[in-house]
Amino acid sequence: MVKKLYFFILLIFSTTIVCAQNATLRGQITNTKTRERLQGATVRFDEEKHAVITDENGNYILSVAAGEYKIKVKYVGYAEFEKKIKLSPGQTVVLNITMEQKEENLQAVSVFGRLDKESEAAGRTAEKDANNITNVVTAKVMERSPDINAANVLSRVSGVTIQRNTGGSEAYAMIRGLEPRYNNTLINGVKVTSPDEKSRYVSLDVVPSDLLQKIEVSKSLLPEMEGDAIGGTINMVFKDAPDTMLIKANAQIGYSQIFLDRKFQSFSTADISSKSPLAINGDDYKAQPGDFSRSNLDFKQKTALPSAVAGLTYGNRYLDGKLGIMIADNYQNQYFGTNSQFNPVVANPQDDFKPGITDFSNLTYSNHQINNGLAVHADYIIDKRNKILFNNVFLYSYLAQARLGIDTAIVGGNGGRNGPGTGTVTDDNRSLVQKELLENFKLEGKHILSKHLLFDWAGVFSVSTKKMPDEADISINHLIKTDFTSTPDYFDGITHTWQHNNDKDEDGIANLTYKGKINDHTLELKVGGLYRHKDRFNEQDQYQLKPLAGADGGKQIYTGIENASWSVYNAKGTADYDVNNYTAFEDITAGYAEFKLSLNKLDIFGGVREENTSQGFDYATFIPTAENAVRKNYTDVLPSLQLNYKLNAKTNIRASYFKSLSRPNYYELVPYNIQGTNGTSETGNPNLKHATADNFDLRYELYPKDDEQLFISGFYKKLYDPIELELTGFGGGDITYKPTNIAPEATIEGVELVYTKYFGRIGVSANYAYIYSNVTSLKDFPDTTQKNTAVGKLESRPLQGQTKNSANASLMYRDGAHKVFVQLAYQYIGTTLSQVYNNYGYDYYHQPQSFLALSGEKGVGKHFTLFGKFNNLLNTPTTTTINNITVGRDIYKANYNIGLRYVN
Amino acid sequence: MKKNTLSLLVTGLAFVSILASCSKKESTNNITPVIPPSHPIAAGNISGFVKGTLLTGSTYTITADLTVKKGDTLAAQPGAIVVIKNDAQININGVLQVLGSQNNPVTFDSDSQQPGSWGGFACDSAQAVTIKWAHVNNTGGPDPSGDPRKSVSVAVAINVDIEDSWFTNGQDDLMGIKLAHVTILRNTIQSSGSTDGEAINLKAGVTGDVAYNVIYNQAGSGVKLETSSSVPFPQTVVNVYNNTMVANGWRRGAAEPGRGVSVGVNAIGHIYNNLMVNNYQGVDIFPDGDTKNTTYGNNLFYASAATFTDNANVVINLAANFYPSDGVGTAQTSDVISKDPLFVSFDGSFIKPNGAANPYDFHVKTGSPAIGKGNATYNADIGAYTSDGKGNKH
Repeated sequence: MVKKLYFFILLIFSTTIVCAQNATLRGQITNTKTRERLQGATVRFDEEKHAVITDENGNYILSVAAGEYKIKVKYVGYAEFEKKIKLSPGQTVVLNITMEQKEENLQAVSVFGRLDKESEAAGRTAEKDANNITNVVTAKVMERSPDINAANVLSRVSGVTIQRNTGGSEAYAMIRGLEPRYNNTLINGVKVTSPDEKSRYVSLDVVPSDLLQKIEVSKSLLPEMEGDAIGGTINMVFKDAPDTMLIKANAQIGYSQIFLDRKFQSFSTADISSKSPLAINGDDYKAQPGDFSRSNLDFKQKTALPSAVAGLTYGNRYLDGKLGIMIADNYQNQYFGTNSQFNPVVANPQDDFKPGITDFSNLTYSNHQINNGLAVHADYIIDKRNKILFNNVFLYSYLAQARLGIDTAIVGGNGGRNGPGTGTVTDDNRSLVQKELLENFKLEGKHILSKHLLFDWAGVFSVSTKKMPDEADISINHLIKTDFTSTPDYFDGITHTWQHNNDKDEDGIANLTYKGKINDHTLELKVGGLYRHKDRFNEQDQYQLKPLAGADGGKQIYTGIENASWSVYNAKGTADYDVNNYTAFEDITAGYAEFKLSLNKLDIFGGVREENTSQGFDYATFIPTAENAVRKNYTDVLPSLQLNYKLNAKTNIRASYFKSLSRPNYYELVPYNIQGTNGTSETGNPNLKHATADNFDLRYELYPKDDEQLFISGFYKKLYDPIELELTGFGGGDITYKPTNIAPEATIEGVELVYTKYFGRIGVSANYAYIYSNVTSLKDFPDTTQKNTAVGKLESRPLQGQTKNSANASLMYRDGAHKVFVQLAYQYIGTTLSQVYNNYGYDYYHQPQSFLALSGEKGVGKHFTLFGKFNNLLNTPTTTTINNITVGRDIYKANYNIGLRYVN
Repeated sequence: MKKNTLSLLVTGLAFVSILASCSKKESTNNITPVIPPSHPIAAGNISGFVKGTLLTGSTYTITADLTVKKGDTLAAQPGAIVVIKNDAQININGVLQVLGSQNNPVTFDSDSQQPGSWGGFACDSAQAVTIKWAHVNNTGGPDPSGDPRKSVSVAVAINVDIEDSWFTNGQDDLMGIKLAHVTILRNTIQSSGSTDGEAINLKAGVTGDVAYNVIYNQAGSGVKLETSSSVPFPQTVVNVYNNTMVANGWRRGAAEPGRGVSVGVNAIGHIYNNLMVNNYQGVDIFPDGDTKNTTYGNNLFYASAATFTDNANVVINLAANFYPSDGVGTAQTSDVISKDPLFVSFDGSFIKPNGAANPYDFHVKTGSPAIGKGNATYNADIGAYTSDGKGNKH
């Protein structure tokens, strides 16, 4: 139907005499109008299964037996090119082809179309053609960058920073300085359940970047998108079936500098029981001292093995191209560690209530993590109008972590310290094994009902579980006396904890799209809805082992775990009435209607979404002293308007407004302490309100060439009922934080710049974000008139987690002819408010950080690429200070990886 | 005439006065009406939400956690007996009023009568707490998170009045009190805590008096004063006087020795007239306490041996620990140092197990150096048993 459009062929015959039967065809494919080089176009001979895909310069090369062929070139959005060509033996033919962009067509683009979505140019095209404000990172970029998981990749996107826990084993994205709670994470466009008991979303470090086709970061929302993202939405799109057979494999090994500098602390997992004593023996059982293992508390210093990563991707089409299959598996076996120092502070009344250190605490983490990700994609093209897609993502993560801690209390406790190097020293050593499984199954269909109507639907079933069998924690103490002599070690107790949780998610999604024309202008109307039921249970069983009295009835001397003797203090465990035993649910019903009107130069996109949320929570056992059954119900109406003005073919100006929300996590509604490490705990708040925000964005986009870009954007957000962690004082003697709507509102405004340009072989990619946020809330201030009291005083400060300045800069060298690519990546994160302190004038701040990473690759032969990735070359620590006192320092050290990649 | 008249007058007056003296004095026979207790609670099993009065001579069995709601009162008459099963605890969100008598105390104990076999009084958000003449035995069983529970825990600014009672064989802290105003007088606290726990642990802005208590064989410290480490106001300000503290602080081990009295974390203590015998450490004023405003003196320290060697072969010089070197407290001229207080009976032991019997009599004999050496602002004598009879009545 679509008529072949104009094309222009330039044929240059050049003949070389080679004594070979084969002939070679090569050339470059470009856009007729813009002269853009088209990367990812498929070039094939009709009779041959073999096909090649053009490289980033649009070049292709094919080697075949001499003869007469029909050559076909396909590129999505462009008219297909066909030509007969005759090749004689030994001949090399250069055939440069230009292709004409087709008029946008629903059938071609929305339903069956497929760009080479993995190339960098595709990323730019996606950003350029998006209806909203997005940044896209493609597989090619990820392959070449020094990053092995989604977390590392995202840290290089403008306005995105990654929040890590101290052990370094969890990572969540902050977008535009907004805490992870304000953002959502999707896999293939749908939300995934999280195996973590505290977070809604999957930790980004368990998603291997090799499985990803691209990561989209949307900073403005369309009505068709879920509304619970104030900072933005991260969509991890897994790999899709290719048009021709694809085999990719890679393998790499690496080592962490930290284990060249110190040993890896390991423990035996052989005796870990997968179930707690009560779970094994029934409810009437009383746990005996012999029911608890010793070997997982016997820490040994070992030399860490190298880390290994391997990946295999296979894709092909069968049944005359009707069935597409893509299978990708990625396996990571990693050893990494952290050396961490944490010194809590409190207001020191002897020093004008300035924060003073209370404890010196040193923690060394040794992690062994195995991640395996298996992504299966299948699509079946029933006919030209109907297509069924199937996606399954299965992630498995195993973590064995040893944490050796040494803690000296300076203030309080049972210590007594009158100088440096004295006092009670507690060794707190912990081992844990954690197994996480995540399964995300999605079935979707796209059906063209008529020339103007498209119906698509999806059903999602997602389940994730986490099992933490036998987290064991031993406490040993000794006293360094004022004459610097030490007492022997005393055995102070052991805790064994079994934890298990399960999160289930069922979604139904349906959309109906109308595409037509009004006075030659394209009009798109879309309505749709979503229903999601989510439920979760959490189970915990914990046992306290108390040391038996020593020889004279006093405290037991500790001479090693093998000799320790104990009684089981709570022989019935805590399973029957543990407050961490809960069930929770969340039901979301959403509907939307939107339109897109494409005028000559202006796209107007708008609509409204309504989301109804019903959230709730029950304890396994009734607890009379606390709120037991929490139920919340609220409805949000979320309008959105996006304007995209196409100044010319290479320039867009976008403006957008949207309203969005952030829901509290399940556990945050529960009025009970969740004990943390380092003497801090978190308590839930049934009165916590969900946050909403008005978001305004403006962006100027310039695409000089298809892999070059310049973005300048500004944004303003006003948050209502922002949720922050407030220090609520003591709760059981600990510093306790409570999620609270501390301030009624907050404002965030910022400017972002993104710039990518190639100067021949050398490319520069840089982004910078300046973000200013303002929250005003009450803090304690020592009363100057009346001693011994504090008064409330309003203080303005940044929002928690905010970084004023963040920047990324990459210097790239690419030489297509020699297949060399080198990238030097620099990242800067400015001072960040990490925690709010309760006294006026002070807050915890992360100090500025500069990271440097180097990666490079070199093609070897036709199929192989040798690559290296070297991270954190500056050994940048994470340093936390308050009142110019360093209270925390996490050191990760550098990481080196080299590997080999194969592509057919 | 004049004389006659006078004598007649006198005689008449005398007669009248004799008559008057013969007449019966007015007597008011006030027949006290028997006021029935509010909401009498019937003897037997109780649990769940309860309010009312536990009756004299009745025995109650608490089979599961018992909760007194805000605004409700749980009262106990003299002689009420409460047996607690299944490691249950008593949650007080309203008012607790246990009023035993010297001859007829109230008793709270578990069915097993083993240390750490029931929860205790969780009064964290109570409206008032009064415990007089009561036995509270064997508290400190594990809470839902597996941690030991206190005999009495309070975390709210109310009046807490604990007098003339016995706290025996608990685990962890016996009284763990924050924010409240306390009157803790004439109690006996003994043989509590397995490897940790203070007898009286006052934190986060507690004010009031701790006096005339006998504290024997506690795992950790006798009295510990601290202000919250994270919330500096209000400060803890407590008078600790005329307590007798014997053989405390041994079971927690040399890494975290127990003290007779410790003052830390911005707390203010006024520590006088305490009698301290065979404790691991005596009075410890930590450098992080409010050392400027803390006062102390007239305390008697004694150890029945020069040194004690624990099972780790740590040799403890007892006299040097009266004011241990990790604190800033120093011996005062008003103190009585290393003089035997002459207890009526005591075997001079140091370390004893959790739940050990206390057959000793810590009254002092005539001629004791504790007599007359006290700071008269509090009492002329040192120790819980004083010659003016104001002291401990056990």
